[in-house]
Amino acid sequence: MSEGRGIGEVILEVEGVSLSFGGVRALNDVSFDVREHEVRAIIGPNGAGKSSMLNVINGVYHPQQGTIRMKMDGALREFHDMDPHEVALAGIARTFQNLALFKGMSVLDNIMTGRNLRMHTNLLLQALHFGPAAKEEIAHREAVELIIDFLEIQAYRKTPVGRLPYGLQKRVDLGRALAMDPNVLLLDEPMAGMNVEEKQDMCRFILDVNDQMGTTIVLIEHDMSVVMDISDRVVVLDYGKKIGDGTPQEVRGNQAVIDAYLGVSH
Amino acid sequence: MKKNLPSIVLGFALLAGLVAPLATGASDPGFYTEVLLGGLMAGVLYSLVALGFALIFKASGVFNFAQGAMVLFAALAVARLAERMPLWAAILIGIVIMVALAWIIERLVLRPLVNQEGVALLMATLGVSYFLDGFGQTVWGSDIYKIELGIPKEPVMILDGMFKGGILVNKEDFVAALVAAALVGALTLFFQKTATGRALRAVADDHQAAQSIGIPLNRIWVIVWSVAGIVALVAGVIWGSKLGVQFSLSQVALKALPVVILGGFTSVAGAIVGGLIIGVGEKMAEVFLGPVLVKAFDLAGGGIENWFAYVLALLFLLVRPEGLFGEKHIDRV
Amino acid sequence: MAFDIDKLDTFPKLLAHHAQVRGSLPAIREKALGVWQTWAWGRLADEVRALACGLAAHGLTRGAHLAIVGDNRPRLYAAMCAAQCLGAIPVPLYQDAAAAEMAFPIQNADIGFAVAEDQEQVDKLLEILPQCPLLKHIYFDDPRGLRNYAQDALMSYERLQEAGREFDAKNPGFFDAEVARGKGADTAAMFFTSGTTGHPKGVVLTNTALIDRAAAAAKMEGLGDSDVVMAYLPPAWIGQNIFSYAQPFVTGYCICCPESAETIIADMREIGPTYYFAPPRVLEALLTTVSIRMEDAGAFKRRMYAYFMDVARRVGAKILDGSAVSTADRLLYALGDVLVYGPLRNVLGMSRVRVAYTAGEAIGPDLFVFYRSIGINLKQLYGSTETSVFVCIQPNGQVKSDTVGPAVPGVELKFTPQRELLIRSPGLFKEYYKNPEATAEAKDAEGWFHTGDAGYFDPDGHVKIIDRVKDVGRLSDATLFAPKYIENKLKFFPYVKEAVAFGDGRDRVCVFINFDMEAVGNWAERRNLPYSGYVDLASRDEVYALVGECIEKVNLDLSQDPELANSQVHRFLVLHKELDADDGELTRTRKVRRGYIGERYQPLVTALYEGLRTVHVEAQVKYEDGRTGSISADLKIRDAKTFPAAAAKRAA
Repeated sequence: MSEGRGIGEVILEVEGVSLSFGGVRALNDVSFDVREHEVRAIIGPNGAGKSSMLNVINGVYHPQQGTIRMKMDGALREFHDMDPHEVALAGIARTFQNLALFKGMSVLDNIMTGRNLRMHTNLLLQALHFGPAAKEEIAHREAVELIIDFLEIQAYRKTPVGRLPYGLQKRVDLGRALAMDPNVLLLDEPMAGMNVEEKQDMCRFILDVNDQMGTTIVLIEHDMSVVMDISDRVVVLDYGKKIGDGTPQEVRGNQAVIDAYLGVSH
Repeated sequence: MKKNLPSIVLGFALLAGLVAPLATGASDPGFYTEVLLGGLMAGVLYSLVALGFALIFKASGVFNFAQGAMVLFAALAVARLAERMPLWAAILIGIVIMVALAWIIERLVLRPLVNQEGVALLMATLGVSYFLDGFGQTVWGSDIYKIELGIPKEPVMILDGMFKGGILVNKEDFVAALVAAALVGALTLFFQKTATGRALRAVADDHQAAQSIGIPLNRIWVIVWSVAGIVALVAGVIWGSKLGVQFSLSQVALKALPVVILGGFTSVAGAIVGGLIIGVGEKMAEVFLGPVLVKAFDLAGGGIENWFAYVLALLFLLVRPEGLFGEKHIDRV
Repeated sequence: MAFDIDKLDTFPKLLAHHAQVRGSLPAIREKALGVWQTWAWGRLADEVRALACGLAAHGLTRGAHLAIVGDNRPRLYAAMCAAQCLGAIPVPLYQDAAAAEMAFPIQNADIGFAVAEDQEQVDKLLEILPQCPLLKHIYFDDPRGLRNYAQDALMSYERLQEAGREFDAKNPGFFDAEVARGKGADTAAMFFTSGTTGHPKGVVLTNTALIDRAAAAAKMEGLGDSDVVMAYLPPAWIGQNIFSYAQPFVTGYCICCPESAETIIADMREIGPTYYFAPPRVLEALLTTVSIRMEDAGAFKRRMYAYFMDVARRVGAKILDGSAVSTADRLLYALGDVLVYGPLRNVLGMSRVRVAYTAGEAIGPDLFVFYRSIGINLKQLYGSTETSVFVCIQPNGQVKSDTVGPAVPGVELKFTPQRELLIRSPGLFKEYYKNPEATAEAKDAEGWFHTGDAGYFDPDGHVKIIDRVKDVGRLSDATLFAPKYIENKLKFFPYVKEAVAFGDGRDRVCVFINFDMEAVGNWAERRNLPYSGYVDLASRDEVYALVGECIEKVNLDLSQDPELANSQVHRFLVLHKELDADDGELTRTRKVRRGYIGERYQPLVTALYEGLRTVHVEAQVKYEDGRTGSISADLKIRDAKTFPAAAAKRAA
């Protein structure tokens, strides 16, 4: 299942996207692309529009201007007013900055919900837990067990997520997104609020996902050091505008970026 | 530990009230058991209606005022259809109608109001409630109708070896209790063991997250309202066969309110246990507390079963607002 | 278990025997992807054959060493046997050792082949590759994360087996001939023991030694192929190895590898081991979890637990020993078994345990009695790497909390005038690898092994160990000072994780305390005491008071014993950091290194004896990622309440 990790063609394209809330411009004519199998970071100071960008891709917000195209069935196709459910169907999964796990449900059930999209028997059969649905459930459970093993959370299968420490909840969140077998994985500040060790673990998981499953990763991060270590290319946003785009090396040398971001607060 | 003290006191008080008639010798064990069983069977029906409330509240955060109206509507439909066809066919068509109703409610009421204030949705269900009451009469008529389940209504004697004089049980009640218990069991399995049940729980837990991982909210709502509709139908048919299908049926459903308060709004188990507690409590109060009140205060003594459930619910609200099985809302800092 | 030890004198021959007589019975289980996967003896033999042939094809020869680095995994055990098939010697290494610590054994044993569990272990081996030029082949079990590693030395377990099958097909008689060449006197395995000073020593054990001891103990306990063991301790430790390799190979029982270190208790509950081994530390941790859970339980449950544990303490152990107990107590105990002990055994995963051992260090009597009183047949065992473990075992019905039992059949024991225990046994090691001086020092001309443990025979002929010979000291008034005895008494309290006692040559005893973060953290939460972590709690007066109470109880106890009344603890401090094996303060088996700690924290010791109320410390700490940092803090020192010595009571 693991294809070679050569970076491929453009899989996701954002072109001239602008988004306003009332009078506030959250995104201003932002364009960039994401290539297959790469780790693409979107960084920027607080309020730069990173989360808005992610929510636009994810279908939570619909931009007033601009288009988003995603490679589906071998060709780039335009997203048009898609809601999160449709975006998920298109092969984009995401995690949340402020965890949005199902707190009362077990780790196993949480990750199993991620398989929902991949369930093909209809809801009625599933509800009756009958014939093909039961068989399908077993196949999905196997896929989920691989993820549990991958994320090293075997000890918590039956634990309600709400009772886990934060770092582990983040892992479950990642697990649920992975369960969707996404082509593109959107990670919203995956390291926020973690200690050094948890951050290192998370970095390792992200790189492993990218490497072993060939998943394209778009991540938003506030923590510069982390991003520079694990990304192939970086987009820098500031006040809703793109001010830099390139390899970590290039971005580090970009004067506008240094002024806006590196120089100021860090 | 200490915070639980009022709950413990209330628990003990309830328990004491429960065993008092026996302990004081006010009742012989046979009669006592008879009252207890009667209460449990009535309680099962309360549980059924409460279950509909809890399901919808859990999955969509909507307090469905129309649950009572749905019970009446379903019962009316079955009663009138059964005049023209066998009962099983009437029930099948009734189920189809309830599913269709769920679909229409989702389309016309829930979808446009999604992400609105809770009050808006509450008002909307109130509207649905009145609409169903009225519309049901328009379509099916407003007389008192009968549903014949074909189970003999006369009481049978059981356990006469154990208690002097045996215990009188209504066979129909007994069957109703069995059906209700089976339905509850099936629902539990459905929620815990199936993929759809899991999706339902996910939606109940966090709408937005559920949507972003590709769970279709709209379809889930249709399913929940359908399930609630079917539960209402079962409750309506059983109740209707007992009391006759009439407008007051939708009022009986109001009893479900104290039940869900007692059991906790989001809990299926709570709805069941709450229903049983209210059912037993009411019967006990009526049979044993009533005469005591009459003697002590020289009251008329009637109608205890009309208010007892609410007093019980009020006590619970004071002592344990989240209900017996509800989720405690603790905001973590 | 009837087999001819003269014919089946090596582990590979034993494997072939089991594959023949119980080929379809389970040999090793492992929980993977949430499901228990089973290798029957026949399958294990096939795996081993392919591996051995692969290793032979790659040049592993008779007498060469092969390192095995990782946790309990079926494939690593298979690799152990594969090496033995070729007459090569497996050397299991601690999986949690740092890379640098692995370099010495690999150089010392001229290791050219290694089998590693996963990326983590492979990384460590690759890191020391430059220092270990002979290491040419590294095989890995779990390929995760290793796909892009291009090192020539690396190869997957599967590819090794493929090579083996090819080799086997081309040289059909090879494998069987190699196995047949093996003799009992051949070295079966080498275990490195962490010395308190200097480099670790490689303990060379022959097939005969290991098989003889494994068989002697198995016979004594009546072990058979229906027994089940959980393999959860480091396989590089002889204690684990004997239970998860030597004994199953002798008796044919099944070992189970847990899914991960965190799932052990849940896995135990699923598997239901019948034969169990745990060092006191593990038993202590389990009891702490139980105690904490009980403290969080409702009032009714707590009271029920307290009541029935009281009953158990009174009569439980007696019932297990088959002593006389009144019918009323028996009934009460039976009720307790239904309500408390049974569920408790189940929670601990010990419902089916027939025989359980503890060893490795002295066990607190209360801790020991706790397990026995709830109906778990926990017994003490004495032995070491050099003796192939089994030297003394407490026979059923003769279990005492303060002895380790009489000699296992085949073992001779005696004490020197200095009270050092000497052992002669067929299970003794051959030598320390490449270390004739150390060998000569430990094993004298008549074949007696000098254990370094001090003790004596009790009236029933059971061996009683008090401490290490070199650690038993004297206070300045010449009364006995046995530091470990005091530390163990302190450590029985769930709040105390480690204690280090000082007093040799001094006028009184003072201690360092490490509290148990989980237990004290819980305690603080219940008292609404906010804290930010260990260091913060360590500075709290409330915590000092808590620790002080524990010490007071120990002092009261010590004051009852005329020999040890002078060893009461006079002053103590709570250390600002948790003692850690990575900082060299504990051994890998987590014993405190008292001498090293005394040197490292010299100013603290001085402050204890000088009567200061506070002392400032700055300490280097090594973080888990290998970086170092420093902590600085003001430590408080407090006096403990002591008691007048009780009038000398003469014990029978």
